[in-house]
Amino acid sequence: MIRFLHAEWTKLRTLPSTWWLLAATVVLTVAVGAAAASSITTQVCHSAQPCQEDTVKLSLTGVWLGQATCLVLGVLSMGAEYGTGTIRTTLTAMPARWRVLAAKAAALALLTAATGALAITTALWTAKLILPVQGPTLRATTGSILILTLVAVLGLALATLLRDTAGGIILGLALLYVVPLTIDLIHSPTWQHRLQRWTPMPAALSIQATRDLNHLPIGPWPGLGVLAAYAVGLLVFGGAVFRLRDA
Amino acid sequence: MTTTPTRSGTPYRSMLHPARASFGRLLHAEWTKFRTVRAWTLVLAVAAVVTVLVCLLGANGSTTSGGGHDTLGPDGKEVVDVFRYTHRPLTGDGTVTARVTGLKSADGRTLEPWAKAGLLVKRNLTPGSAYAAVLATPAHGVRVQWNYTHDTAASDTDVTTTPRWLRLTRTGDHVTAYESPDGRTWKKIEDVRLPGLPNTVQVGLFVGTPAHEDVRRAFGGTSETYAGGQATGTFDHLALQGTSTSGDWAGTDMGPAAPDGPVAENAPPAGTTTVSASGTYTLTGHGDIAPAQDGPDTVQMSFQGVFFAVLFMVALGTLFVTGEYKRGLIRTTFTATPARLKVLAAKTVVITAVTFVTGLAAVAVGFTIAQHALRGNGFKPPEFPDLSVLDSPALRAVVGSAMLLSLVAVLALALGVVLRNSAGTIATVVVLVILPQILSFAFPLPAAQWLLRVTPAAAFAVQQGVTRYPQVKYNCLPESGCYPLSPWNGLAVLAAYTAAALLLAAWSLRRRDA
Repeated sequence: MIRFLHAEWTKLRTLPSTWWLLAATVVLTVAVGAAAASSITTQVCHSAQPCQEDTVKLSLTGVWLGQATCLVLGVLSMGAEYGTGTIRTTLTAMPARWRVLAAKAAALALLTAATGALAITTALWTAKLILPVQGPTLRATTGSILILTLVAVLGLALATLLRDTAGGIILGLALLYVVPLTIDLIHSPTWQHRLQRWTPMPAALSIQATRDLNHLPIGPWPGLGVLAAYAVGLLVFGGAVFRLRDA
Repeated sequence: MTTTPTRSGTPYRSMLHPARASFGRLLHAEWTKFRTVRAWTLVLAVAAVVTVLVCLLGANGSTTSGGGHDTLGPDGKEVVDVFRYTHRPLTGDGTVTARVTGLKSADGRTLEPWAKAGLLVKRNLTPGSAYAAVLATPAHGVRVQWNYTHDTAASDTDVTTTPRWLRLTRTGDHVTAYESPDGRTWKKIEDVRLPGLPNTVQVGLFVGTPAHEDVRRAFGGTSETYAGGQATGTFDHLALQGTSTSGDWAGTDMGPAAPDGPVAENAPPAGTTTVSASGTYTLTGHGDIAPAQDGPDTVQMSFQGVFFAVLFMVALGTLFVTGEYKRGLIRTTFTATPARLKVLAAKTVVITAVTFVTGLAAVAVGFTIAQHALRGNGFKPPEFPDLSVLDSPALRAVVGSAMLLSLVAVLALALGVVLRNSAGTIATVVVLVILPQILSFAFPLPAAQWLLRVTPAAAFAVQQGVTRYPQVKYNCLPESGCYPLSPWNGLAVLAAYTAAALLLAAWSLRRRDA
């Protein structure tokens, strides 16, 4: 298994896009967080005390953008192999397909988690320079790092299922962006509530909330659980298809 | 013995004009490339089906409990018609004149910029009936307003500091508005025709103020609180020339009949009219005379599928060019046609045409089906307009959405030429177009509106179906479907991004190796 991991780590490490994407994840997460923090002006909130804004959540807004680069990273870690045909070499050298996928997921998750930790902590500290960030931050930051990691795994799962980079990215972006947007615009409270509970993106972001937890459509950890269920479920399904299908 | 081919006197020349023929052939070549990739035709078909289905699902999920006490204006649109009226019947032609001496808040709040005090001629006392008014406001000067949606500006006198003389003259079904600084020299502002005005109408003084709206937004939640403000207007030198069947002025709180049952706790107090011995009329009242602006936008609600269509169009635009880079076909293309900008132009034309036609068909069908579903869910006339695809705001929204889709596809194509990589291009374009919308629901209002002005997401403004009137103050909240830019200006923002991306693509095509 160590050799599998080493092989996947080498592949991931040597893709030039990997480092670009990781750098972009950090930069974008921090930049959007800083922009969001500076959008709180005295016009919006006169003083810190009666202000309704969830400042912790606001400074972690960058996750909305950082997840895109993590998704692309995840999709490319498998999609690039199909695009160039390396997958055939990989599977000839390592016929144990479940282990290949597990090693890929592990290497990807570790790398994204490390980058995510850097991005999220930097974002929070940058926001603290701009704004008095109040509230418990541990669950929100850990959760945000896990969101980025799970989104990368989701990308890997989609690429494994579709065997195509463009398709995987489109499907991933649909889940991460278009579905939440459609939910926001639907004029039915019942359906809005249901969809907010059972689709990965608005549900997972409830982990960032530090205020008004009673008003969340789904609790913080169960919300993250929804995203985890999607990512892991699709990965297992992708793995089964990967096992059964020709490369 | 060998025969060498004899050389004829004139070399062969094609009968076709070189430049024109080559662009036509290029278009044909690019169209063939598009047509013969089976997956792309499939993507187009799936895009159309998904768009229609999501439009239908989005509309099906939306419900309304019905309007309740709705006031309808002369043209059948929903209006607000609430104000304090001190009035007399006028039979035949006549003139009413008064001097507005002041307007102030009656409940300690700041006076709303659109608080009103003035003269008003009304068909009858039924809410929603035709009217014409000349009025003074604190922040928007003297105005003439009639039949709820019409508004003409006159002098910019601030009535809280400077008294102003106002006059309305009724002649047949015409009402003419005048203003004067001193009651001697009169300036005509507007001659308004109110079709079907009966012989006997109501004329008099009125005061109203829109409710004070307070919006609080936090992540995931918005609360709007309406505090029913009250304003007090003072008038003197009130004079009516003409025949009146009543000898005295009567005070009425105009507005829809109060619902049965106990009075709501937050209901504003009743209006009052007092007359001093010196002939000063003091009116206190609340409410506004304006088109209703708070209902959901049923046009916009029918376009949920367009967000999904954006994804497919971005994929097509990107792959149409990055596919060639990936397979190396681009080298063949550029060897066959060394004029690279012409290749870019041909690709742009093909992708624009394909995505526009597909988008238009899908959006038109989706809109029609969604409208049908919305009507079934209670979004019916008279509260909500009954629109077909060919009616004006709907037509603009449908054609605009199709234009949006093809602009997005071209943006992806151009960015694909620059980045030469499908993953990066698709993610960038989708994030640029979709993410600002999501963030606009979450950010504080000024930042949210800024996002919807400067990012390509501004283009979704073209889907708005509600006419916004400048004389009505409203809170432009992104989550209720309001965009800070007007429909075509919003689309122009996306067009500017696309044009910039095309220029960048042209520049990098010429500068770089294939």
